[in-house]
Amino acid sequence: MALSDYLVTDDLTIILALVAAGLFLLHNLYKPQALVHPILLGRQSDVARVRNPAESAVYRNYSTGMLGRFPLRPSKDQQVVLDLVKPDADAPRSLWSTKITNPELRARTANIGAGLMRLAGLAPQESNVLLLLNDGMEFLLADLALASHSIPSFTLTSLALLSSVLENHPPSAIITQAEFLPQLLEHMYDTNETNNHTIVVVGDINSLKLPRLHNVRIVQWDDLEREGASVDKATLPIPDPNDVFTVSFFQMPSGGYEGVQLTHQNLTAGVAATRALMPPSSAISSLDTILSAHPMSTPYGRAIAYTALFEGTGFATVDSTKLIKPEDAPTLTGLKDLRTTANYRTSSPTILFVRPDHLDSLSSSILQEAKKSSWLLQNLAWRHKLANILEGFITKQSLWDRLVFDRARVKVMGKGAGTVRAVIVSGGPLETQALTPARIALSVPVINAHAHPLVAGPVFASHALDLQTFPTTDPSPASSAADAYAFTYLAPVGPPSVNVEAKLTHVDDAAVEAGADPIGDLHVRGPSVGQPLSVEEEPEEEELRGWRATGERAKVAPNGTFKVAVGSKA
Amino acid sequence: MAFDLGTPVNTALLIYILYSIQRIIFPSSSIPKTVPNEFKHGYTWMPKTHPPTLLFQTYTPKTLAPFNGEDGKRILLAIRGVVYDVTAGRNFYGPNGMYANFAGRDASRGMAKQSFDESMLTPIDQPLDKLDDLTPEEIENMKGWMEHFSSKYIVCGKLVENDAV
Repeated sequence: MALSDYLVTDDLTIILALVAAGLFLLHNLYKPQALVHPILLGRQSDVARVRNPAESAVYRNYSTGMLGRFPLRPSKDQQVVLDLVKPDADAPRSLWSTKITNPELRARTANIGAGLMRLAGLAPQESNVLLLLNDGMEFLLADLALASHSIPSFTLTSLALLSSVLENHPPSAIITQAEFLPQLLEHMYDTNETNNHTIVVVGDINSLKLPRLHNVRIVQWDDLEREGASVDKATLPIPDPNDVFTVSFFQMPSGGYEGVQLTHQNLTAGVAATRALMPPSSAISSLDTILSAHPMSTPYGRAIAYTALFEGTGFATVDSTKLIKPEDAPTLTGLKDLRTTANYRTSSPTILFVRPDHLDSLSSSILQEAKKSSWLLQNLAWRHKLANILEGFITKQSLWDRLVFDRARVKVMGKGAGTVRAVIVSGGPLETQALTPARIALSVPVINAHAHPLVAGPVFASHALDLQTFPTTDPSPASSAADAYAFTYLAPVGPPSVNVEAKLTHVDDAAVEAGADPIGDLHVRGPSVGQPLSVEEEPEEEELRGWRATGERAKVAPNGTFKVAVGSKA
Repeated sequence: MAFDLGTPVNTALLIYILYSIQRIIFPSSSIPKTVPNEFKHGYTWMPKTHPPTLLFQTYTPKTLAPFNGEDGKRILLAIRGVVYDVTAGRNFYGPNGMYANFAGRDASRGMAKQSFDESMLTPIDQPLDKLDDLTPEEIENMKGWMEHFSSKYIVCGKLVENDAV
């Protein structure tokens, strides 16, 4: 038969040809567009052109650049911490259980400050006040009041540090909760403290049995506020942004403790960096509610709280941030911990600053709930979502969310299913394998950040719309076991934050010149990095000043993202 | 109208349609094992190399001299102990350039006196030029050149005496 006999066409051919052409266009052109162009993800850090021997080059965020200046504050009006409470923003919002506006907050701060000066006998720049409080309005008010009076506040990240801090850095006054007062008084009795102390107590002390101590004066918080409100308040001198306003004490993995001095500028820079975590198209605004699992006694937790204050969002913290807990209360983790914020008056959270255990708990619960729908639907939904992620796209409004995942999210998160729009994870190791299921389950930007007790604000943060999924490679043989695990299995934490520069020391020069990824000890510098108490003298030269050793090891990938081997500190 | 699925053209089209439908309903969701080095080949990609970074090194006049751009080598020049990588200015400092005299040498005197003469250069095996006899204007001129070089080119080392290493 001739060739033309094979190529017989009829009307069915036309129909089939049209359908085929339609399907071809649909399949090839209707691909989801990546949320961020991959070319931008290939160069996330700006790298210095020269490096010193045994060190890596200095890395900065690409948007800041090696020649750019670090942002020191969210906008030029915020010079000191109290400026973060914008005086002209009038809208009320809920901070924990209190609905308050900025002018009211400023008024209360002024009252507390005046009360403290009168009843606690404090002198600006000479006294120190130890805050032994759980995160709440009182912590915030005390911190703001002390900052505006130039009195440094001390905070502890764990009660185990209490005796060392009281011994080596005795405060002039202590603000604490009623539940902790008996223990504190017993501690002072045991150590035979002879200095005069003033203790300001939040809460009701009438029902407590208190040991008698001569040199201790106990003042109630409410009396303090009333006293301060009744007094005429003179205008206070504005503190210098480079004055230390707080010292945060934390435990070192080697056993001792360290304190980091934070100035007003450190914190405004930290707020600028925390704001930069969200992309400009979906920046933090006053319509948001922030939920934080990082205690305000840490610099990062404080920066998150002040970012919430600055933007006028609602703010709440979870139970595991509490410093002072009842004796046998277990430390909550995961979903149970997140649900403890239901008691507060804040509306449903929109941005979560949580730890990896919260993220894992959320994503595994949602995926388990999703499995309860039909097997075929759930499989198809997973396949489609994963295919979209491999193209760089994720959305909460797809067909598969409506069919499968929305129901699961509502069951697990309640109202949060509709409101949560971003999750920022830090405070522990996050594995690469856990990241993609979390992205599918939540379908919102999941940002992997890295925080350190010395830095107000994030140190590293991944690009918000970065959905790259790298396969696990074989571990390189040269590094130690902890390094090998971290650099193979942990998710990259992204480039340095907008106002932090990072470098690695003790780097193998020969390997790096041959093209390998630099691996070494991480050092950071920037306006949001506080000064540790143990560092007294600084080198003279501009190039060497200000670098702080973090005690962690890190590795840089060719696209400028870091992987940090997290030490045993939180 | 005739409908005949048996014809080869119709069968081929039908197979293509079924294949397309299958790809649309069951998209491929396997993470590729090797990571491409170009963004055109995939959303998840990694550049092959790190951005180029020079190692800060200490040079002596003898070790600096080879770097004059011949055989494709880098071009370095030194002013007052600071070594600059001027490979980007191959037109000026390369083998056939106007200022080729300075390549691989201590150019301090020439920069100060604004001259490209051979007499401005000290021989390699002698100690470095102390620049004692320069007038303040010439020192200022040299500092101006140092700033120009710092912003235009890369500072990549320092120059010390031959026996200091």
